[in-house]
Amino acid sequence: MNILPFAAILVSIVTIAKLRRYTTVLLPLAVTTIGVGLWQIACDYWLSETNPSPMETLLAIFEIHENGRLWSDAAASLFRVTWGFFLAAAVGIPLGLWVGWTTRGFEALNPIIQALRPISPIAWIPFAILWFGIGDGAGIFLIFYASFFPITVGTMAAVRNISMVHQRSAMNFGLHGIELFRRVVFPAALPQIITSLRIALGVAWLVIVAAEMVGMDSGLGYLINDARNMGRRYDLVAATMVIIGAIGVVLDLLIRRLENFDEVRWGYVKR
Amino acid sequence: MSNSTKSKVIFDRVSKSFDKRGEELCVLEDINLEVQEGEFICLLGPSGCGKSTMLNIAGGFERPDTGSVTIDGVEIVEPSDKRVFVFQEYGIFPWASVWDNVCLGLRKVPRAERDRVAQETIDLVGLTGFEKAYPMELSGGMKQRVEVARALAVKPDVIFMDEPFGALDSLTRLTMRSELIRIWKQEKPTILFVTHDVDESIQLADRIVVLSSRPGRIAAIIDVDLAHPRDLASEQYSKIKGELYELLGVKDWG
Ligand SMILES: Nc1ncnc2c1ncn2[C@@H]1O[C@H](COP(=O)(O)OP(=O)(O)OP(=O)(O)O)[C@@H](O)[C@H]1O
Ligand SMILES: [Mg+2]
Repeated sequence: MNILPFAAILVSIVTIAKLRRYTTVLLPLAVTTIGVGLWQIACDYWLSETNPSPMETLLAIFEIHENGRLWSDAAASLFRVTWGFFLAAAVGIPLGLWVGWTTRGFEALNPIIQALRPISPIAWIPFAILWFGIGDGAGIFLIFYASFFPITVGTMAAVRNISMVHQRSAMNFGLHGIELFRRVVFPAALPQIITSLRIALGVAWLVIVAAEMVGMDSGLGYLINDARNMGRRYDLVAATMVIIGAIGVVLDLLIRRLENFDEVRWGYVKR
Repeated sequence: MSNSTKSKVIFDRVSKSFDKRGEELCVLEDINLEVQEGEFICLLGPSGCGKSTMLNIAGGFERPDTGSVTIDGVEIVEPSDKRVFVFQEYGIFPWASVWDNVCLGLRKVPRAERDRVAQETIDLVGLTGFEKAYPMELSGGMKQRVEVARALAVKPDVIFMDEPFGALDSLTRLTMRSELIRIWKQEKPTILFVTHDVDESIQLADRIVVLSSRPGRIAAIIDVDLAHPRDLASEQYSKIKGELYELLGVKDWG
């Protein structure tokens, strides 16, 4: 009998119980240990051999690190996400600002935006491949599509939420045109724009994996499919999933740094 | 800042209705008022009687249904930085520093002049040392000082203040009132100040315009002939207070 997971869980529970002040590191670490311990116990007693244990998953991570698949496929996924996301931001933010601010722009474009928005990016995969072929082009298009709507709709809503007093202050001091956008509309909407960028990046990372599983021949999504098809290597599948999660966390941490600038902090404090 | 032009604001038979779900809601009816140059006027009345509407019309944010508001004989049709608002809720920009907020109306002023005026105004409202701070880091009273500074910096002919101290605690309010009087005495702009606080109006105004509600009409105009700083315990003070409460229909005010 393997007593290691039981011991680990016990130590974690004792640690949690004894914690005087809940630290931001120790508490989640203890909870994670309990989760991994339960996973190990499940493998020891219930699950079939095919299911990878935590240790097998860790070894599989080393394996894809050694043979280079981890880095080449992660790079392929990140390449598509980066391009698609930045293109979407470059188009979506100005468009959202304009559509949100002008009544005519809103009336013209909002219905189309709302009608396209519920169509899952995954549904576009056949057309993406038809237009761009299997490869980066299709991936970038899908990520562009997936992040474009959260960014545009978020920016639009942010602009339409600009408070009456701020609009009137701008009018009172005679702001027009570019200056109005630079000094009031854009900064007023910025906190919510950053939030929508965060949401869009999260969605983009979800979509790229799905897209690569269905219609691409590289990337982390493809790696999952590949591992399953080539000899049912579920340890590699689990390893890739862990990597996808870790990269997702890092991406979110990176984009959250935008929330710390003086110009936007006001938008996140509770009022 | 001593040579700013003074103005006379004239409300001439101003009426305004709003459409309230198909029903016509008459908010202001036949408002006639002449405000002298450099005068401090308080608009006093119960909540919803049309004080903000009256100010918005004079500021150019709304148009009257009939009648007109003129300043120095020119009819008001749109907002302008010659007449600046201090809003009921905080109107300063939370994304800009105190300095940048105060400089909002000074965009076309040459750099050296702008720096001088901004610093002078910030000193005037007592915010020296907070130039780089963001509104989030300031107390409510300090935020309103920033907004007053932003208004003063452009040397406006008229300042409209819509319950600017409404969100502040009573002690801060008292300080802000005496500060406002100090600044007003120094700069002498024409001020239209909205409040529903009887004491506030007596402490500040040269004349108090009492509005009745639904439809908003001018019920009376009360002169406050007391020198600043005003003695809140004086006989005249409580006489005016009694008069105002009677006009507002409050019986047992103590
Ligand atoms: N844009 C609008 N559309 C419809 N009704 C309005 C509008 N603005 C104001 N009203 C109505 O006009 C009336 C007067 O409003 P106003 O804001 O001028 O009151 P007020 O005296 O400033 O009140 P308070 O002291 O509460 O600020 C209210 O009954 C309000 O519901
Ligand atoms: Mg009001």
